[in-house]
Amino acid sequence: MDISFSVNGEITYLQVEPRRTLADALREDCGLTGTHLGCEHGVCGACTVLVDGEPARACLMFAVQADGTSVTTIEGLEGTDGQLHPLQEAFVAHHGLQCGFCTPGMLMSALHLLDTDPDADRETIRDEMSGNICRCTGYQGIVDAIEAASSAMKQH
Amino acid sequence: MSVDRADGTAAAPQATAAAPAGATEDKSGSLGRNVRRKEDRRLITGHGRYVTDIELPRMRHVAFLRSPYGHARITGVDVTAARDAGYRVFTGQDFSHVVLRAQSALPSYVETDQPVLAHEKVCFSGEPVAAVVAKDRYRAEDGLEFVDIDYEALPATVCAWQEPEVPVHPEAPDNVLLQRTFDAGSVTDAFTAADLIVERELVTNRHAGNPMECRAGVALWDAADGKLTFYNGTQVPHIVRNMIAELMGVPEGKVRVVAPDVGGGFGVKAVLYPEDVALCLMAREMPGIPLKWVEDRAEHLLAAAHARDHRYLIKAGFASDGTLLALEADVTCNVGAYSVYPWTAGIEPLMAGGLLSGPYKLDNYRCTVRGVATNTAPAGPYRGVARPASVFAMEAMFDDAAARLGIDAIEIRRRNVITPEDIPYKMPSRLVDDSGHYGECLDKALDALDYPAFRTEQARRREAGDNPIGIGVALYNELTGLGRAASAGPRMPFRTGHDACTVRINPDGRVTVISGITSQGQGSETMIAQIVSDAIGVGYDDVDVRIGDTDEALWGFGAFSSRQAVIGGGAAHNTAVAVKEKLVKLAAELIEAAEADLRVVDGEVYVVGEPKAQISVAELARVAYLESNRLPDGIDPGLDATTFFDPIRGAFAAGAQAAAVEVDRTTGELRILKYVCVEDAGRAMHPQIVDGQIAGAIAQGLGGALYEHLVYDDAGNLSTGTLLDYLMPTSAEVPDMVIGHVSHPAANPIGVRGVGEGGTLGPNAVLAGALRDALGIDVNTLPISPASVWKELHP
Ligand code: FES
Ligand code: FES
Repeated sequence: MDISFSVNGEITYLQVEPRRTLADALREDCGLTGTHLGCEHGVCGACTVLVDGEPARACLMFAVQADGTSVTTIEGLEGTDGQLHPLQEAFVAHHGLQCGFCTPGMLMSALHLLDTDPDADRETIRDEMSGNICRCTGYQGIVDAIEAASSAMKQH
Repeated sequence: MSVDRADGTAAAPQATAAAPAGATEDKSGSLGRNVRRKEDRRLITGHGRYVTDIELPRMRHVAFLRSPYGHARITGVDVTAARDAGYRVFTGQDFSHVVLRAQSALPSYVETDQPVLAHEKVCFSGEPVAAVVAKDRYRAEDGLEFVDIDYEALPATVCAWQEPEVPVHPEAPDNVLLQRTFDAGSVTDAFTAADLIVERELVTNRHAGNPMECRAGVALWDAADGKLTFYNGTQVPHIVRNMIAELMGVPEGKVRVVAPDVGGGFGVKAVLYPEDVALCLMAREMPGIPLKWVEDRAEHLLAAAHARDHRYLIKAGFASDGTLLALEADVTCNVGAYSVYPWTAGIEPLMAGGLLSGPYKLDNYRCTVRGVATNTAPAGPYRGVARPASVFAMEAMFDDAAARLGIDAIEIRRRNVITPEDIPYKMPSRLVDDSGHYGECLDKALDALDYPAFRTEQARRREAGDNPIGIGVALYNELTGLGRAASAGPRMPFRTGHDACTVRINPDGRVTVISGITSQGQGSETMIAQIVSDAIGVGYDDVDVRIGDTDEALWGFGAFSSRQAVIGGGAAHNTAVAVKEKLVKLAAELIEAAEADLRVVDGEVYVVGEPKAQISVAELARVAYLESNRLPDGIDPGLDATTFFDPIRGAFAAGAQAAAVEVDRTTGELRILKYVCVEDAGRAMHPQIVDGQIAGAIAQGLGGALYEHLVYDDAGNLSTGTLLDYLMPTSAEVPDMVIGHVSHPAANPIGVRGVGEGGTLGPNAVLAGALRDALGIDVNTLPISPASVWKELHP
């Protein structure tokens, strides 16, 4: 099937089988391998991307369902000048990642969280981020990072 | 990181390596500081390079057909339909000449074979029986439908302490693959003299490392050179190279194993799996075509290494003052269907027996451990190997005895723990403890917890009839960085005591390090760069580290046993020191100064007492490579070295964990009010990374104690086959932790003790202890679920 959608601001045309997941289309057809697959059954959150600004599990969504939408992936987070997003900066500063496998999904979920609730406190962060599993960090660095990013973003 | 440190100081703020402080005093080092991790930029921007990201021309995808039976004879294999549909199919017969046989010279060990693809019978549900190759992963999975395997079911055994109806391996009719007894002192006499004997049967829950990236591999056979390249998400690339070469009969120099970014390992990826070997064998059959296999989570839960399925029949004798007099245990570990390659079925039982007494003084010890095969996924290494269970068992003895003797649970531990005065302390298993700092860790942990305040609150709640709270503690020792003498235990055909490192100062004065260590998130590139930049005296940002490629690095055993900081770090330090000697010698000749008077700071060479730099590392490097006309007599070109390091012994890392836990009487749920851990990392090279290792390990320990459970039914079907049934802790369950440190440098070049695993050792014991403290109930089976607590509350 022919589909078109915008990926990180760029209009993309693809020909995909109806069963092809959005995750595979992004990773293999668009070459955006930053979106990761940790379970392929909708639990771990590693594949989280934003579809029209809303977090979506790219492993559970078919590429054809993204037709006509605007998709943001981890590759779209960094500024075009190579400037890191405050969330990325905070994840580095607060050791919010170890192996980095959950990180793209974490960042996309966190981005949405801070968009919708800029004042999220620690407990809210812990609750809202519970759809993304990290096996490495014990979450402490992640929660620290999101908290710090939230205040950094408010200052701007 | 806003981790509160139990020593009251805040974690050092993040910084990059500072400018030189001066010509003579070298304070410019990056060790001990939270420098920006080398890995982070690519990982944070979506530019990591994991095996699954590899895309090569002509690439084909592989899917494995897996046994739906826990135990069955294979009576027929028909691949005609698949071949007719255009699929390339491989079955067990194709590779029946290759078997994985984990070897050990231990007298009782029964060696057994693991096929690459099962052909005579299947021994666990999920065991690979065939592989299909297709142009993409969807079609490869379609192809599995066309492969027809006939099975004749056999009775399955899933419990290691039940008689098998039909053994897993005919060589071991009772399913016992290994049994060993540790014996010291006179247990019988000591029990006779004891005032109190406590006895328990404890069962721990099967769970697994479950890194977020599942297993993956890409194999390519180059027919022209007869060379295999294998990209593999492994913790142990050199071991994989060695084993693949041997199994395939290929010279080792013609096998290249590359572990690029790896999305977590935790031991699960320190195993060579039959799927890995199958992929490489298939690649040889399809020269020039890269074959890619990406495991999904359901496969991972079925067939990647499981762990921690143990039973302890344990008995301890105490004097009336709480002194531990004797310990006797019978430990059965469910090792699954095959003796895990190459570590053997001994990995968990031997660790359990060797370290059961942990940080406690003990003279009289008898412990029989056995590894028993069952029709379940093979058990392998998982962070903390056996000790989350053995610490749980040991601490249960103290909690139990304290209550019966009317001694405080903290006090009874203090009376028995190994102290610095006892060091070196020879444990009854003959391991030598070089630490003894358990008491100090405990003190700091209780301080950080605010122990008296929780005791007061506990009393208040008892009075008021509020939800009860309990306090649990655990002390443990983590044997890390095992050198050749300490890694002798399992008597495998290899000794894992050493690693190599190459350090090169390049012609432009920047440094390239090629280390034999690997990374699955530990920040290995960062750590090695810190060590080397400090040892030579160049900036952290001027050091690049390459890891994970066996064509580049001379040798490294890889990541396991909390060994890399000690051994790989030691190798990096020693090698950098050797290169620096060459550098200083060259500088001394060129600027006509005495070697002893030279200091290298941030890439510049100073003479003691002179404020201005005399020559730069970059200029020296230029001379060494490009201007042999300026090379002094007797100095060879180049600025590089490669050396090995082996610490011979190991470094024990002391640890203490404590928590205050509230029990919800209505639901049986536990709520962790505060969780504290204090460990001795020796010298902490990167405090954030150290704390991150500890926090991550504790989270895994909490997962194992409370949620994670791989459950088989009697026929050998895994009933927890997705992440909806196998519950991994999320940010909502894992509490903020307080992580503190004591710092007693170990006797190795950089004074470090490993911290990768220790965190997993405490949670079982801490939470069980807290529950006992809150309600007076014994936890005999893990995990502790709300249902199990509720049942105790409403008998
Ligand atoms: S990969 Fe999509 S939720 Fe896990
Ligand atoms: S950093 Fe490894 S899974 Fe989160």
